[in-house]
Amino acid sequence: MVTMLKQALFRVFRKFETKHHELNYLFWECTTRCNLNCRHCGSDCSKDSFYKDMPLDDFLKALDTIESPSENFTVVLTGGEPLLRKEIELCGREIRKRGMRWSMVSNGYLYNNEKHISLLNAGLGALTISIDGLESSHNWLRNNDKSFERVDIAIGLAASSSRLNFDVVTCVNKRNFQELEEIRTYLIQKGVKAWRLFTIVPIGRAKEDDEMFLTDHQFRELMDFISESRTRKDIDVKFSCEGFVGEYESKVRDSNFFCRAGINIGSILIDGSISACPNIDRTFSQGNIYKDNFFSVWQTKYELFRDRSWTKTGKCAECKDYKNCQGNGFHYWHGEKKNVLVCHNERLKKTTNC
Amino acid sequence: MKRDWKRKIIGGLCLTSVAFVFQACYGTPQDFGNDLLVEGQVKSKKTGLPIKGIKVSVAERVQYANTDENGKFSLYIDKLQHANIKFKDVDSTQNIWFSNKDTLITINESVLTSKQPKVYLNIELENK
Repeated sequence: MVTMLKQALFRVFRKFETKHHELNYLFWECTTRCNLNCRHCGSDCSKDSFYKDMPLDDFLKALDTIESPSENFTVVLTGGEPLLRKEIELCGREIRKRGMRWSMVSNGYLYNNEKHISLLNAGLGALTISIDGLESSHNWLRNNDKSFERVDIAIGLAASSSRLNFDVVTCVNKRNFQELEEIRTYLIQKGVKAWRLFTIVPIGRAKEDDEMFLTDHQFRELMDFISESRTRKDIDVKFSCEGFVGEYESKVRDSNFFCRAGINIGSILIDGSISACPNIDRTFSQGNIYKDNFFSVWQTKYELFRDRSWTKTGKCAECKDYKNCQGNGFHYWHGEKKNVLVCHNERLKKTTNC
Repeated sequence: MKRDWKRKIIGGLCLTSVAFVFQACYGTPQDFGNDLLVEGQVKSKKTGLPIKGIKVSVAERVQYANTDENGKFSLYIDKLQHANIKFKDVDSTQNIWFSNKDTLITINESVLTSKQPKVYLNIELENK
């Protein structure tokens, strides 16, 4: 009864948030170059990208269209690997000059002591670094023998900062699935306070590789692992906001599932496209900073993000949980968009009585 | 402002205090602004000219920056009420030697609670 009441109230909150769609979080895909060649990359990034890095001035012109940025408005630099941009500190400082904050998602390979200091000096406020297993499985997924050694240094440095809001993310797959407890212990020893777990989206390079994807039983075990870990309180473990997980909703996250793509989250992609999270199908683009006023697009477009009734199709059409889920994460709608790519809730239901 | 209150009330009723603290699935946690911008200029007390290559650091922290050709420096440090900023000449090949200096700064409440807290320091160093 209490759960149902909480869900109903949350739906009211979600409706309010959707109606007002305050921009809190802006991804900037500042490069699509990458120094790794990960097996699970959803962007198919590579060392030599088809696109040149977006000039900082082009991005700033778009940023300057934002009228009265919200209190905690943050620009999230992503890629590719953002640290491949040599003037990343300048990018950060220009964002801070505008009264905004900035953060970064990195694979950690280039994050050494010198970089740690220069990024803090430039006002970096939050950071996410990926680790995808213990040494062997991490290096396997990252396709690089030195990757773990380098990310280990990066994690130690980032965790030592008292002011960075720092977390580690892990893409759970068949290889690292059995290592989760050991990874957890490793992160606690490194001083990491927050750990977010994902599953891999079947797009990009990952989609043809069965080793990337957990079985339904393993997925339930993952939910149990997160749920149990959260009771231990020594590290803040959570499942990412990638999808609705039915019976586990209150057990694996701090808040109910709410895909805020296009509601509070926007993006400026490498070619100037205006969208939401960078892993969303690029055909959902709402405009382009080279032709449109960014903030005007944010204020007046994004209809498909803010009215998700079009997702009530395929397996979502008859789903009893649709009102709480609304078609799962937006990034699970690709191609023809006739059916959701992954339904976490369905995976869990399949294993309910096992 | 009115909308913020409404948002907080509705979010609060959801019995989930973190309704407003979110991160995109492939993004970072939110930055809660736990820093303070310290910038300034270092000059020679004797000549009044800017000094390049002075190492500016924060006591008991790893961060440091060097002054540029205009003697200027800029770094975001932990948002604390007191900070000991240290100035050290590490560039003896280009300058004469200057004495080190420690400056204890106290940040008043109104600066600390402002949206973009910052302090500006004018520093003069004496010849050794």
